[in-house]
Amino acid sequence: MTPKLTRRGFLNLAGATAGLTALAACVPAPSGEAAAAEEGVTVQFWIFWTQPGRIHDQIMADPSLPDFMGDNTLEFRTGVANEARLAAVAGGTPPDIGALGYYLDFMARDVVVEVTDYVAASSVINEEDFLEINWGQTHYQGVQKGVPAIEGFVRRGFFYNARMVADAGLDPDVPPVTWDEAWIWHEALTQFDENNNLLQIGLDPYDAEGGVGPGNDGWGMADSFGFHYFDEDTKEFNLDNEEFAEGLEVWGDYIRLIGPDNLVGMRAVEGQGTWGGSFNAEVQACIIEGYWHCGETFNEVPEVAEQIRASWTPVPERRRGTKLQQGGGHMVQLFKDGNYKDEAWPVAEWLQGSYFCDQIFHNIGWLPSYKPYYDVADQNLFPGLAFVFQSVQEANYWGPQINCEIEDFVRVKYGEFREKVYRDEISGADAVAQMQDLCTKEYKAAGFA
Amino acid sequence: MIALRRSFPATSREWRNFLLGVAFASPWIIGFLGFTLYPVGSALYYSFTRYDLVRDPVWIGVQNYVAFADDPDFKLVAGNTLWWVLISSPLGVLSAFLMALLLNSRIILRSFFRSIFFFPAIVPVVVTAFVWIFLLNIQYGAINSTLQSMGFKTIPFISSPDLMKWSLVVIHMWSQGAAMVIFLATLQDVPKSLYEAATVDGANALRRMWNITVPMVSPIILFNLVISFISGFQYFTLPWIMTQGGPSRSAEFYAIYLYRNAFQWFRMGKASALAWVLFVLILLFTYLIFRTSGRFVYYAGAAR
Repeated sequence: MTPKLTRRGFLNLAGATAGLTALAACVPAPSGEAAAAEEGVTVQFWIFWTQPGRIHDQIMADPSLPDFMGDNTLEFRTGVANEARLAAVAGGTPPDIGALGYYLDFMARDVVVEVTDYVAASSVINEEDFLEINWGQTHYQGVQKGVPAIEGFVRRGFFYNARMVADAGLDPDVPPVTWDEAWIWHEALTQFDENNNLLQIGLDPYDAEGGVGPGNDGWGMADSFGFHYFDEDTKEFNLDNEEFAEGLEVWGDYIRLIGPDNLVGMRAVEGQGTWGGSFNAEVQACIIEGYWHCGETFNEVPEVAEQIRASWTPVPERRRGTKLQQGGGHMVQLFKDGNYKDEAWPVAEWLQGSYFCDQIFHNIGWLPSYKPYYDVADQNLFPGLAFVFQSVQEANYWGPQINCEIEDFVRVKYGEFREKVYRDEISGADAVAQMQDLCTKEYKAAGFA
Repeated sequence: MIALRRSFPATSREWRNFLLGVAFASPWIIGFLGFTLYPVGSALYYSFTRYDLVRDPVWIGVQNYVAFADDPDFKLVAGNTLWWVLISSPLGVLSAFLMALLLNSRIILRSFFRSIFFFPAIVPVVVTAFVWIFLLNIQYGAINSTLQSMGFKTIPFISSPDLMKWSLVVIHMWSQGAAMVIFLATLQDVPKSLYEAATVDGANALRRMWNITVPMVSPIILFNLVISFISGFQYFTLPWIMTQGGPSRSAEFYAIYLYRNAFQWFRMGKASALAWVLFVLILLFTYLIFRTSGRFVYYAGAAR
């Protein structure tokens, strides 16, 4: 006789299964640390960049990795999207360790672990092994909550395409050091056809590192024109200042020559994630960029990289002689809601190792701010890179690293107001006054005042 | 009447059937409770707090709502969104209606053209955005490259604040495949006898269209208009992917501002308040349309 499953029987079975499943889900799991003590655990390590994903397997093949991880396993995820990162942190399910951006936001909101004790016990990570400015960036209100890693080093340089410069009748051996001198290059290099259609840009000062800020790469305009936008002690903004207004007007002239509408079109090339793409496409002759420009361009368009020359970022005439540089970059942080903080810490040490750094440097073009590595790195691996190394020694002004808890708001407003200025909707002086007002109100409304 | 009233379910059989019904509907019920009602309710609570996604929310009463009155960004995005809804929705419905009319007529390769016109409806929005960027970009877009090669001045379709919204309207009108199919189905349902009678009475094509076609499809016009208004208020993906709300914030719509507050500036409390204001606005708008629809919608089966 064939056994028959009645409707009642099916419902009873389904109900019992569901009930047992629910009960099983309610059984408390062993705590992370307790489980770790019993056997190896899987440490979650996330980063937001996509580029290391291309060499994920090479990175994980590091023969020294087991020395750091012991019985534990490392799960390394790259290209974690913005919303996924935030949702994980907000939902209490972040990775154990990660470079997720939002470094200051996470520090200010106390979701990452203080690492002072870990650092004190480490033989790999010591303050003197890092660029001072990058080390300082991992601190919030005097407490260290991250370790520089993966991509650091210095962020400012005036890079130019020597062939395009020479073709325009300019001398590539005498790069501009002030904005007035850079204007001469800009005018000569910006070209239109007979119908006034844009063919080539000299310099878009707002592209790449020139346009950043404020944030973990500093603020390009603030570094060049020399202003501090926020006082961490008094919690007051200083956006309404002459230097900022001057910067908006001076750089605004560069964009007016290009044509604001043309600029938007040209920038759309890199607007989809390929930062600095117009330089690599040889439609922009000069760019203000970080050290990585040399390696990234070399890996993406080697024939353009061969033309790269580098010099100091221009400054206003009143600051002639200033050799500015800026630190910053990225860090890894341990998350309070992560399961295995102790087990994750060795990852921060492993990231400083020569194998990992070699993979990142040679395949992507990035450098850490870890002196034991960059002291021995090949400074001539990519055209233009030697200048960057030299600049670390010769810089006489380091842009400030300012911790302002609403820096992302300031950054978005900066983008909006600079566009208003170069579209002649508002003067530089009015723009900075309005930004001061808006940012002060936002700071209060966000609960930080 | 009283005799018909009794408590339900009354018998054990009715109980069993009721529970069975609930069991079968439970995936939806659980989904609705967990993924709609709870988020909507919690958003209402968060809208009265200062909440940054990470730390505990702090109760601040109606401050988030009151602050909108003094918020230039709120006024800007509200204005942009209202413009978008009022311009793009009627034009989108008109475009769908005209396409349906065209494809309802006897033209060669009718099935092929129906597929082609419907095609945009199945293309993911992200792909749509990139295709249009490659068409409209001032330097590298196909249209402007053609203009440039012919010796003309290029047109800043998506780089000029004056043209950006209109470019989005054109894209919106192009992507009306779904609405077009609904119109098409309705047009095929209009009784031919009405047209025949009108023709006998001497009505020309325009008169037949105005006095027969439009009234007969007016419930679908209403439906498409309401759907279009609702999605118009929530417009986000295309302008975000194409220009992140630019140039010069000309395409910064309400949902983009909401997103910025929630996920860029950690102002989830304010973003929740924005979401609730939007929800109420959509409700009001929809209510107004339905209240006034009696004047322009003809229901053949309605009681006279």
